Amino acid sequence: MIGTARVRAVLAAAVTLLMTAGCATVPTGGRVVSGQPADRSEQVDDSYVRLVPVRPRPEWGPAQIVSGFLSASASFDDDQKVAREYVSPSAGWRPGLRPAVAVFQDRDEPVLVKESGAQATVRVEGDQLGTIGPDGQYTADPKHLEVTFQLAKTPQGVWRITELPTEVRGGLLLTKADVERAFRTVNLYYFGPDGRTLVPNAVFLPLANRQDLPTRLVQALLVGPTSWLAPAVRSAFPPGTRLRGGVTISKDVAVVDLTGQARSGSLERMSAQLSWTLRQLSEVKHFKLQIEGETVTPEGVGSVQSVRAWAGNAPDGESSEQGSVPQSAYLIGAAGHLSRLAGDVPQPIVTGTAGRLVHPAVAPDHQEVAGLSPDSGEVLVGTLVAGSTDIRPILTRRDPKARFTAPSFDRNGMLWTVESTKDGSTLWVRPRGRAPVRAAHWGLGGRQVLALRVARDGVRVAAIVKMDRRAQVHIGRIVHRPDGGVEVGSFLPVSSELQDAIDLAWRDYGTLAVLGRAKSDSQPLPYLVPVSGGAISSLGVGALGLPQTIAAAPKSPVLVGTRSSHQRRVCRQRSYRDQFSEWVCAIPGSDPTYAQ
Amino acid sequence: MNAAKRIARRGLRASRRVLRRAVGRAYTRWRRSIQVRVVTSTLVISAVVVAILGAFLQQQISAALMESKIKAAMLQLDEGLGRVQRDLGGPSSDDDGRLDSVVNALKARSGPSGLYEIYIRDAKNPYYDGFATNELRQESVPQRLREELRRGPSGARVYTFGKLSYIGRDREPGLIVGGKTGQFELYYLFPLTQEERTLTRVAWSLLAVGAVLVLLLAAIASLVTRQVVIPVRLAAQGAQRLAAGRLEERMRVRGEDDLARLATSFNEMAANLQEKIGELENLSQVQRQFVSDVSHELRTPLTTIRIAADMIYEHRDTFDPAVARSAELLQSQLERFESLLTDLLEISRYDAGAATLDAESLDMRDLVLRAVGDIQGLAERTGSKVVLQLPGEPCMAEVDRRRVERILRNLLVNAVEHGEGEDIVVTVAADRDAVAVAVRDHGVGLKPGESQMVFDRFWRADPARARTTGGTGLGLAISKEDAQLHGGWLQAWGEPGKGSQFRLSLPRVAGAELRGSPLPLVPPGVRDSRAVFAELEAGE
Repeated sequence: MIGTARVRAVLAAAVTLLMTAGCATVPTGGRVVSGQPADRSEQVDDSYVRLVPVRPRPEWGPAQIVSGFLSASASFDDDQKVAREYVSPSAGWRPGLRPAVAVFQDRDEPVLVKESGAQATVRVEGDQLGTIGPDGQYTADPKHLEVTFQLAKTPQGVWRITELPTEVRGGLLLTKADVERAFRTVNLYYFGPDGRTLVPNAVFLPLANRQDLPTRLVQALLVGPTSWLAPAVRSAFPPGTRLRGGVTISKDVAVVDLTGQARSGSLERMSAQLSWTLRQLSEVKHFKLQIEGETVTPEGVGSVQSVRAWAGNAPDGESSEQGSVPQSAYLIGAAGHLSRLAGDVPQPIVTGTAGRLVHPAVAPDHQEVAGLSPDSGEVLVGTLVAGSTDIRPILTRRDPKARFTAPSFDRNGMLWTVESTKDGSTLWVRPRGRAPVRAAHWGLGGRQVLALRVARDGVRVAAIVKMDRRAQVHIGRIVHRPDGGVEVGSFLPVSSELQDAIDLAWRDYGTLAVLGRAKSDSQPLPYLVPVSGGAISSLGVGALGLPQTIAAAPKSPVLVGTRSSHQRRVCRQRSYRDQFSEWVCAIPGSDPTYAQ
Repeated sequence: MNAAKRIARRGLRASRRVLRRAVGRAYTRWRRSIQVRVVTSTLVISAVVVAILGAFLQQQISAALMESKIKAAMLQLDEGLGRVQRDLGGPSSDDDGRLDSVVNALKARSGPSGLYEIYIRDAKNPYYDGFATNELRQESVPQRLREELRRGPSGARVYTFGKLSYIGRDREPGLIVGGKTGQFELYYLFPLTQEERTLTRVAWSLLAVGAVLVLLLAAIASLVTRQVVIPVRLAAQGAQRLAAGRLEERMRVRGEDDLARLATSFNEMAANLQEKIGELENLSQVQRQFVSDVSHELRTPLTTIRIAADMIYEHRDTFDPAVARSAELLQSQLERFESLLTDLLEISRYDAGAATLDAESLDMRDLVLRAVGDIQGLAERTGSKVVLQLPGEPCMAEVDRRRVERILRNLLVNAVEHGEGEDIVVTVAADRDAVAVAVRDHGVGLKPGESQMVFDRFWRADPARARTTGGTGLGLAISKEDAQLHGGWLQAWGEPGKGSQFRLSLPRVAGAELRGSPLPLVPPGVRDSRAVFAELEAGE
């Protein structure tokens, strides 16, 4: 009896063992495991494509050599080693890591113009779009370009380029596709005139090697802002500061080692610039600042700084970095009064007939309100105190055909507006408590301007400019002169994809929310447009009616004022953190705006 | 320099010595212990088996991993080729922008995890060699793969393993698949670092598991052999003790397994042995008693006979010659009978363990001189001459005078008897612990094996030989017992035709253990010849 019991126990154990062994394969059930949200993905982390160049073949003629050279020069591998094989060493062509580039829209095949014995001339024609300077600044410069290459036969009997056209001497001649493939836009951060806010400076960097990018980024930061932004910003790095060696990254800590000149600079300000510049790289989570190999510790943070530190220097202002509470929005209620949006219900602040205005703007300190008269012929300003009706005109158009653009406050409380007719415009600036004055320099004086918004950093300005019958988004920069005058100019188009833009707002320091039409749209729709010139993306899905105005703020929903069958409504996305969530038009009112 | 070399050499030598000693010790343990042998062979065999199994497993896992990788890669390639065909298969316009965008679209599916890199080339465009993604270098696609694809028909698919090289990064192993559609060649390059890591981890796990398994087997073997070996060792100890004479030794019987049976059998054997030995002892005791009793009983009638015989012998002149001759014969045989009886009594005393040592400090030279004096007459009769080699200083030793004299007389008489009239050499020597007397004759000598038998009771070298001096046949046996009683040795050497030598070695202090003899057993001068002798040590 005992024997059989023991046998049975052994059998049971064996069966259990076999069953557990059978289960030791791929699990087919079990509890749900929640993972970490994915790391932020930056544009520079996208995979990229490199052209693989071919070396010149001995049998190629002059035109083929030029073709091969133009193709090969789009490859930045090994300091353009292959492209340099096409060029005779006497030409001294060495474009380096940040070459000047002439960007072609389209390029014809090279044509052999003249060939006599051992000499030849080859011509290349094409439509130039613009140029990228050695500092990475893109400047639109559309023109028809015709360049000639001089070639000579070497003693070995192969053709080599001996003389490059002046346009590409020490630079490159690339097509738009080449530039899109080989270049990336990155932001370098410099201090604005208030010495506190950082201003992004978008530059084109050739992306030859993703591993080198941190080094190249810091090197570009040390070189200084591009010619476009240079008058408006300052770098905290003392002149002559260089990077020692490269930026080394180990376990997402980057080490930035600067030369001795950096000792005279402010550690905190240099760290802030580095922090904001390096946070574009997902592989860098922390960094260490060194001067001549010696780790330095800025006040307030440890020697190993997070790239998320220095929120006080945010381009959108400090408050934009703290918390994620949406900012309070203002709008014109259904009855025509300025109201504050509480939830989805407008709460009127200013009542009475004298308080009627459109396109309101609220100062960042919520002390002052500005707007236009309903015919856009007057700029109205009032103090924002509950129940107050103290709204008075400060500026009246002189030309009856002129219209004012929606006024906008900058972070210092200055009010900006453009008085524009079909063939000219004037920029008015009004410091608080003073009379409006014309800007000392206004770069769009000969153009019609539909909208103007100053960025939260107070240095850049976005405008919708009518150019060749197309309303395009341009970015300009503000220079404060020592005598108090203001220069606004150097406008550059941001994107050629959007047409007929009607309104815009700064979403954050790198993105504009624009109402405009892309190629296939029948009516203006909200788009997010990166300032750096990247691809635009549409915002939200669903019916919107006819959008009229747009308002945006960091970490807050984009608000669109629409009109449909004589009903004015303000729309917002159901979930503003999701770019493609549905539009909900439930708020009666128009002309939404954010204080900042 | 030299010093350093010397030190190094010394160190080397020392370590070699240590190593040799360790190896020697290990070999000794290996030879002596079943357990060590079993555990070692288990270790070696299981290590070999585990190694073979591990290699096989590793190979299987690697093959399975690669197979699934190749399958997935081929599917990916098919999809990519489909896309290339769809986007670029139309009427060809050499728009590298389109090629570019196809690569971008294909690469975008790889995602940020970097599952693969892509290399695409347009065989018709001479000015560039296609597009590669990220840092991938063109050399990553091996020439052999390109050749294979070029030779193949449109739609061919090939794959190979190679090293992927990158700009600014280390090379890594990879799987490269390629396909052709129209003029376009599309390559997918899959890094195998993840697989390599998996395989490395598997290899380490296998190694660890194998090591644990081997150790476990060794431990099991050790445990099992221990269970078997310990009783065997106990049995061996028991047998040893039994052999040493402790007949009451028994093994403990535990359980009812094979080992228990071994113990039972052993105990039975020991019991039988004890019984038989006891019986034999009793028997020999009875016999000895009998001999002793007979000797004693014979003595009284012998005395009477002796008195009568003496009287007859004294009056032999009055008898006629034949009767007188008989009286002489009676007298001599009576003497012989008497001495035989004395020897018998003596030896029976030894057998009974009743012999005691009556030791006093004496000079061995005196004893030798006296013994030689006693047999001088006999020697002269046979024509032998006794040559004495005595040391200058006294050779004092604690000995029993009567017994040593008897030994010496026996040896000398023996030498005279077998000396064939040649010289007899008597040598005395002493060292710190012992004294020795050697008696050398130049007679017929001893045959091989006889040097042991000479000490047997009633042994004769030649049974046919006439006994001129009427030895009893017990002399050497008694002498040997006498020497042993002193704790000394009596040994014989002999060779046919070269004579023989008897050596008596005694400790200086009675009862002390004898370690060596001051004199060689083999006389000097014959050492070089083929020495056949028995080292018969009296102590053993």
